[in-house]
Amino acid sequence: MTLIQLSGVNKHFGDYHALRDIDLEIQQGEFFSLLGPSGCGKTTLLRTIAGFEDVGSGSIRIDGRDMKGVGPNLRPTNMVFQSYAIFPHLSVAENVGFGLRRADMTRDEKTRAVGEALEMVGLGGYGGRAANALSGGQRQRVALARALILKPKVLLLDEPLSALDKKIREQMQVELIKLQREVGITFILVTHDQEEALVMSDRIAVMFDGGIGQMDDPETLYRRPRSKRVAQFIGMMNFLDGEVAATGTEIEVTVQGLGRCSVAAEQAPGAVAPGPVSIGIRPETLSLLFEGETTTRKEVAAVVDEVVYYGDMTYYDVRVDGIEKPLTLSMKNLIGRPVLDVGTQTRVAWDERSLVLLGH
Amino acid sequence: MRGLRIYAIAYLVFLYAPIFLLPLFAFNDADIIAFPLSGFTTHWFEELTRNAALQAAVRNSLIIAASTAVLSTILGICAARAATMADWPLKRPMMGLIMLPLVLPEIIVAVSLLVVIVQVFGLGLSNATIIAAHTLICMPFSIAVLNGAFQNLDPALEEAALDLGESRWSAFRLVILPLVMPGIISSLLISFTISLDEFIIAFFLSGANPTMPVYIWGLLRFPGQLPVVMAMGTILVALSIILLTIAELMRRRGLKRAGLKDTGGFL
Repeated sequence: MTLIQLSGVNKHFGDYHALRDIDLEIQQGEFFSLLGPSGCGKTTLLRTIAGFEDVGSGSIRIDGRDMKGVGPNLRPTNMVFQSYAIFPHLSVAENVGFGLRRADMTRDEKTRAVGEALEMVGLGGYGGRAANALSGGQRQRVALARALILKPKVLLLDEPLSALDKKIREQMQVELIKLQREVGITFILVTHDQEEALVMSDRIAVMFDGGIGQMDDPETLYRRPRSKRVAQFIGMMNFLDGEVAATGTEIEVTVQGLGRCSVAAEQAPGAVAPGPVSIGIRPETLSLLFEGETTTRKEVAAVVDEVVYYGDMTYYDVRVDGIEKPLTLSMKNLIGRPVLDVGTQTRVAWDERSLVLLGH
Repeated sequence: MRGLRIYAIAYLVFLYAPIFLLPLFAFNDADIIAFPLSGFTTHWFEELTRNAALQAAVRNSLIIAASTAVLSTILGICAARAATMADWPLKRPMMGLIMLPLVLPEIIVAVSLLVVIVQVFGLGLSNATIIAAHTLICMPFSIAVLNGAFQNLDPALEEAALDLGESRWSAFRLVILPLVMPGIISSLLISFTISLDEFIIAFFLSGANPTMPVYIWGLLRFPGQLPVVMAMGTILVALSIILLTIAELMRRRGLKRAGLKDTGGFL
């Protein structure tokens, strides 16, 4: 069931075009992310859904209702703010119960609801504490409980994890996914962290310059980015120049340094026409061939140019004849597998299935 | 470094030594203000309580100071609130002009107000005219204190209250107001103190009902009354220090409540 529907949404701040023709539909129960660099309009889009910003043109419908002229206090949405916006003069329980002030409930019912909400975010027994005495992670949980206690149709999260340490952030990612499944509420997450978006979302909209560049599930987005821009933003990608000779169910393409290849049409998710094209290869789809190793894949001679050791992985930059920029590839550090030195002559195994033809 | 330290000490002596003379002579058992001191007495304070004209002047001053404090704080809240909102045309020059009375010579303000009130509007001089003028000179202080209180607030706090179902007014009442309350109290106390001992404007604009400072000035013509003035001054200084200390404590409490670092203040 479609819960949120945006059609033709545009927004200007003076001369600045903050949102460009946004069309999107979000399903009931979906974990949806708006991903993009800072200034791409993702937070503005979230704030128009929440009702803090008016739309210039276009419409926003939530649960079938047009939201034009409906204030944030009357929308079936609640928000977790980037700064958490915990009321510093109130206790934890008063913060969580803030939205129940106008609810038609007895005092006992409210107290119970607050207790349950705190329990849900793992802060049972913290109700009496002062909001100022909490750690960053705890404040985040209070903000979540405060928003979820009203059982909104949509929970909006504005970079909720960006202020946390890496360890706590990763832990909260998992907890948020669990929580979302538990309550079954639609979550819309704004983030600039592509890894966070990939880990948490059912679907991701990648935004650039106020418009949506691509909207897909995480796997499709990673494996088949439509444009070079999306491919650059999500994960690491090598880019090669090429020339498309013929299109069809199989695309004939000449790739610099790798020669003539024939790739399936699904590896060109963006529109591709005969002529020059940009080709992407993920580092993990290439591998080094160590001495004496053979492969059923294609191989090409290379020289190690740079080695970066990460513990579980090693990233190599290798030079291949005919390609001006070194190719980046990653190898798992399995037992007995050596780490090569800079300057080592080696071979790289590759595969036509790992090529992605990128549109513009 | 050493020179600077001597300078600082000398500065403090010149500033505060005369003030310490006030209680000294207020409790001194002699008609004339001169050393050596001749004994302890509370006679001059008793004299204060018997002086009906002085009591009327004190009552006048308290009414004026209280009204000024409330008016200038309410106007200050409006101005500080407007300053935290998004940019509107002429916001910067307007805020600058509001702060101007802070540096305008009071005598100029007093004379021009006298001309405007009496000649232009044809009104009589009364407590109301002094209240209006005192509000004018207290407002920059109120705005300075309240601006700090409002600008320290995360704008997301108000949005969070809206998001949780409150109207604009109830969000202001439930979230913004309690958080800026220390600033409001601080502004009330500072305006009250400024108005209470303001002389020049009150001297020009008071009619048949002098304020306390104006009355004290009148007493100076009678040397025999000087120790009474000293007693009055002692009470005033004590009151001013107490009020300003409370104001500063409230300001600091406000910062602490909002979880912020101290970046200076009046004390």
